[in-house]
Amino acid sequence: MNMPPVLMHVKIKSINSSFGLWLPLFLLIPLALVVLIILSPLILIAIIVLWPSRWGRLALHALPMSWGVFCAMRGLKVDIHNPRESVFISVV
Amino acid sequence: MTENKKKILEMLADKKISIDDAYRLLNVVDTGESGQESPPKTEPGVKSSHKYLRVTVLPNADHEDAAHADRVNVRVPMSLIRAGIKLTSLIPPEAMDKMNSALHDKGINFDMRNVKPEDIEELIEALGDMEVDVVSGREKVKVFVE
Repeated sequence: MNMPPVLMHVKIKSINSSFGLWLPLFLLIPLALVVLIILSPLILIAIIVLWPSRWGRLALHALPMSWGVFCAMRGLKVDIHNPRESVFISVV
Repeated sequence: MTENKKKILEMLADKKISIDDAYRLLNVVDTGESGQESPPKTEPGVKSSHKYLRVTVLPNADHEDAAHADRVNVRVPMSLIRAGIKLTSLIPPEAMDKMNSALHDKGINFDMRNVKPEDIEELIEALGDMEVDVVSGREKVKVFVE
């Protein structure tokens, strides 16, 4: 399992405006964990209710897989420029 | 063209074998002719050395309008591709059937259900040999693995 990403850098530039943001993902992870713990009884009930229709099993697997995708995003870089606009996204 | 290849194509023309079978047989013949052994299968759990899939679009310096061309530089970690392929296991069977039939309609006989974890590593390993280089108008597109 990869280490989860720590920061996300988003930069959007156009002729009129410019926007840049360093998103501290390492601070958002504990927040997301707290929300997950609070919602866990509801998630558990939903999984049990949906289990016979196979959606429950999918929901159960979706949680670790989503975490896997999140961790795998480390190193992702998207840099798009044209003479009028530019978008830069980097996950570190 | 060798005798073997002619025979395969004749069998295909006579509808004795399917297109998939012919393709598979032609690959086997090609491998035999070039004297190369098929690449060793990657063992499950052994990660390939390639780390990123890169897509770059750069201005074509030979084109007069190159200054107005778009520039794209995308770097996708292989681990993200791996995780994305694994996510296909979450696709409900009904949706998978629809996907497969849509692919079949486009002439692609590929069943997503047959993708197994060991195939993912093999696929990613094979991506290492891929390099797409397209020069079109004012842009140069390059897809490669590093």
